Amino acid sequence: MLINLRNIFKWVQQGGRRVFLLKDINLEVKEGDFISIMGPSGSGKSTLLNIIGMLDGFDEGEYNFLNEPVHQLKEKKRASLFKQYIGFVFQAYHLIDELTVYENLEMPLLYKKYSGSERKALVADMLDRFNIVGKKDLFPTQLSGGQQQLVGIARALIGKPKLILADEPTGNLNSKQGEEIMDLFRQLNEEGVTIIQVTHSKKNAAYGKKIIHLLDGRMEKI
Amino acid sequence: MYKNYLKIAWRNLTRNRGYSAINIGGLALGMAVVIMIGLWVLDEFTFNTYHKNHDKIAQIYNRTKNLDTSEIESFPSTIYTMGSVIKDNYSDYFTHAIRATWVGNYVLTNDGENYTQTGQFIESEALEMLSFEMIKGAYSSLDEVNAVVLSETASVAIFGGEDPIGKSIKINNEMDAVVNGVYKDLPKNNSFANVKFFANWKLTEANEPQRFERVKTVWDDWSFQFYVQLRPEIDFETANAALKDLYFQYGPAESLEGFERRGLHPFAYPMDKWHLYSQFDAQGEPTEGRITFVWLFIAIGLFVLVLACINFMNLSTARSEKRSKEVGIRKTVGSNKQQLVFQFLSESILISGIALLFALTLVLLTIPWFNELAGKSMEIPWANPFYWASIFGATLLTGLLAGSYPALYLSSFSPIKVLKGTFKAGAYSAVPRKVLVVFQFAVSIMLAVGTVIVFNQIEFTKDRPIGYDRSNLISIQMNNPEYNGKYNLLRDDLINTGVVEDMTQSSSPLMGVYSNGGGGISWEGKDPEMTPDFGILRVTHDYGNTVGWQFLEGRDFSRDFATDSSAVIINEAAAKYMGLENPVGSFFYFGNGDRAEIIGLTKNMVMQSPYQPVKQAFFYIDYDRVDYINIKIKPEAIASDAIAQIEEVFAQVVPSAKFDYGFVDEAFGQKFESEERLGNLAGVFTLLAILISCLGLFGLASYVAEQRTKEIGVRKVLGASVLNLWQMLSKDFISLVIISCLIAIPIVYYFMSQWLQNYEYRMSISWWTFIWAVCGALLITLLTVSFQAIKAAIANPVKSLRTE
Ligand SMILES: Nc1ncnc2c1ncn2[C@@H]1O[C@H](COP(=O)(O)OP(=O)(O)OP(=O)(O)O)[C@@H](O)[C@H]1O
Ligand SMILES: [Mg+2]
Repeated sequence: MLINLRNIFKWVQQGGRRVFLLKDINLEVKEGDFISIMGPSGSGKSTLLNIIGMLDGFDEGEYNFLNEPVHQLKEKKRASLFKQYIGFVFQAYHLIDELTVYENLEMPLLYKKYSGSERKALVADMLDRFNIVGKKDLFPTQLSGGQQQLVGIARALIGKPKLILADEPTGNLNSKQGEEIMDLFRQLNEEGVTIIQVTHSKKNAAYGKKIIHLLDGRMEKI
Repeated sequence: MYKNYLKIAWRNLTRNRGYSAINIGGLALGMAVVIMIGLWVLDEFTFNTYHKNHDKIAQIYNRTKNLDTSEIESFPSTIYTMGSVIKDNYSDYFTHAIRATWVGNYVLTNDGENYTQTGQFIESEALEMLSFEMIKGAYSSLDEVNAVVLSETASVAIFGGEDPIGKSIKINNEMDAVVNGVYKDLPKNNSFANVKFFANWKLTEANEPQRFERVKTVWDDWSFQFYVQLRPEIDFETANAALKDLYFQYGPAESLEGFERRGLHPFAYPMDKWHLYSQFDAQGEPTEGRITFVWLFIAIGLFVLVLACINFMNLSTARSEKRSKEVGIRKTVGSNKQQLVFQFLSESILISGIALLFALTLVLLTIPWFNELAGKSMEIPWANPFYWASIFGATLLTGLLAGSYPALYLSSFSPIKVLKGTFKAGAYSAVPRKVLVVFQFAVSIMLAVGTVIVFNQIEFTKDRPIGYDRSNLISIQMNNPEYNGKYNLLRDDLINTGVVEDMTQSSSPLMGVYSNGGGGISWEGKDPEMTPDFGILRVTHDYGNTVGWQFLEGRDFSRDFATDSSAVIINEAAAKYMGLENPVGSFFYFGNGDRAEIIGLTKNMVMQSPYQPVKQAFFYIDYDRVDYINIKIKPEAIASDAIAQIEEVFAQVVPSAKFDYGFVDEAFGQKFESEERLGNLAGVFTLLAILISCLGLFGLASYVAEQRTKEIGVRKVLGASVLNLWQMLSKDFISLVIISCLIAIPIVYYFMSQWLQNYEYRMSISWWTFIWAVCGALLITLLTVSFQAIKAAIANPVKSLRTE
């Protein structure tokens, strides 16, 4: 089991009241799954994804990642799990504007202590695979949105993560670009990468093997 | 990894040029100030270290109790007989024991040409003790009775390129000497730096045989200096313990009682303290002096650096929103907090490294000017690894100091918040920034007010009533035997030129009192326990008229009264000292039964330190030992013209003397030189501190304006005027500056009041100083902030809103 969420609650205090962001979430994700999370705006999709990605905490419940109890782990250990297994893709791409495509791709490797030649090889692979060799010395602002998202995905993949978390990866793209990204996800999934994506589009959600609906922080059905 | 960090740091710097310029510029200015102060402090601390044995060399001082105030006074003059005792009986303590005269100006004559040089008669071992670097000759060069060694400068001045060795020169037209050696000029930071030649002590003894015959037997002629070098195994405590009873062990029986009462004893005052610890406390122990200023400057340096670091911190955190996205991304691709802290620290170290380059360039460019200002000859010690180690160490430390807060602040951002865009540097995040701005301004205001008070005190002292008229007065030292007996001739000739009001001679120049004593004098009503001490001035009849004496009572000396040859005039301080209400008409009684009538009471003449009260003094007529000619030029005469005519008269009357004159006005000004130099230095550093603070403020203001662009646009569309907007944007800063003033003023008031206590003659601090400071600070702030505020306020709102 890759991910096991049990009775997850998350709330914030607002005006002395608890406002629940997530209520009693139970979710199992196996390696090789491709899950789409859907739901209206404000239903808690991003919150859930961030919790799965260990970027955010929760208030109640258990979260096991590869049988490690995330809720009990020290910050350091959690960060290293994250570093090792998880890649994030954002709606807003979130590339560093001051770094070139090449350097953006290289960055996660720097935090993982790869040697210089390994880094070179891995980055070259990615550039190749995403067909952006010609763009490697450009800065993000010099790319189109679709190209930027490709770089964002390439960056998420470069550390060979087991799990890709994507929060509306096609939200800022036109449908043609979106389709390309989805094809890519499917391909990755076939190669064995687990993918959890948040999306508003039924069409994109259909790429997933499983769809989860969130409403007001509660899971509707599996 | 580093490469990645450096790359992003460098790109951030080059993409935000204005911000980088303010950041690096401010830091570079701060560092330049620190480097300069560092050089200055180094120069002060290495004073006299030119001499190999500087830690063992000392001058013999004496301590005596002032019987009126009960304070112990320490002074550098010694008596000949004391020197003999040390030479004969203290060789267990001292490797060298050396007599010397006071440093004075002498006329050296070579080949009929006269050159005035500053020199000192000293015993020949001095060359070795002071480890002079001999260019020509050896340490034995001064051994011959008539030997003279010249500094390189003096040698070049007198002999040009010629080899001076073996050349004979005449000193003051009365002593025949032979040049036997040339030594390398001493560095400026040396107590002997102004001495340009040394002559063998024996020469002065041979020149005045009668005087020295007497001096060798008496125990009250304090006309000499005496230097010693301690044996390696002897420390100062031991030496001073041994010296303590010298007068009682070796002094003449009849003087012992007086020595006893005054607790007279000699002590060795270490060379390492001469310069920085030149003031003695009421126990006669060296306490402070220039060292206070050294510490003060170190403090200023550190403050300025801290101000520059604060700029860096403020601007970095203010711009945190721009960097927050990067932090978020780095965290989501696996960076942990330490790595981010490390990244931002390396960035700030890079910036301080760049700032260092600019700072060094700045120092290099301005060091000649700085030397001029400081009266030193400092240079960057390029070859000194210790220097570079400390420079780089300090740069690293600066980078860490300046970068620590921003690094911790930036690296603590939560990635979801910043990436979701809900991150806003909230209102509270500006609080530390505000505290830092207040600190900056408080320090700047303190420095500014402090400097202004220092200058006010100098000006105040300069304006002190000095009891005579120093304008148009010139002074010439004259001990040329050719002049003997020509007083009236010279005076008549000078007055006949029509440009000279009058001429007189005196035993001390107007800027000093060279002779003190009068222990044997008594008067009616004198406390029999008291051993009087007066400043003693021998003058000619024309003194009063020449210097513009101001009489409170009685009259001036007059040639019409033959009895005036044994009359005295006293100053106000003396009347007070003697406890006489109406001193005129009473008498001085001397030990030998003579008496002198007090015929006049004058206002106090400030002749010594202008910061100190005037010492009690008396004047009497003497035409013999009066080496200073004072000439009053008519106020309507043109100075240069008058000088030329006076020189002509001198050339006729005393052709062999060099006409070497000085304006009393200038000599008076020189009494302020050291204070003014320090004041000027402090002033420059203060200006830089203010500039640095303003740079920071400017940066912050531009940041705030940028941050509020949208708000400004909306307000403008809703009808706010430029004036409204300017007020809105400036108001915050103004209140910060007012808080700074409230903090700074009491602190600086306290410290400056303390400082003023050092001066007997001091001003009181005026509230106007503070009012001006507050107004100045507000004005500067408004100017700095308004530029950005107005720029933002007049911007086209449509443009700023469209950027959303
Ligand atoms: N720190 C917070 N404090 C208060 N409320 C929060 C906080 N973070 C999230 N929320 C609320 O939690 C709810 C879920 O937010 P979330 O971002 O997960 O929604 P979402 O399903 O991703 O919506 P969208 O489709 O618009 O991205 C929202 O109503 C949001 O306002
Ligand atoms: Mg969302």
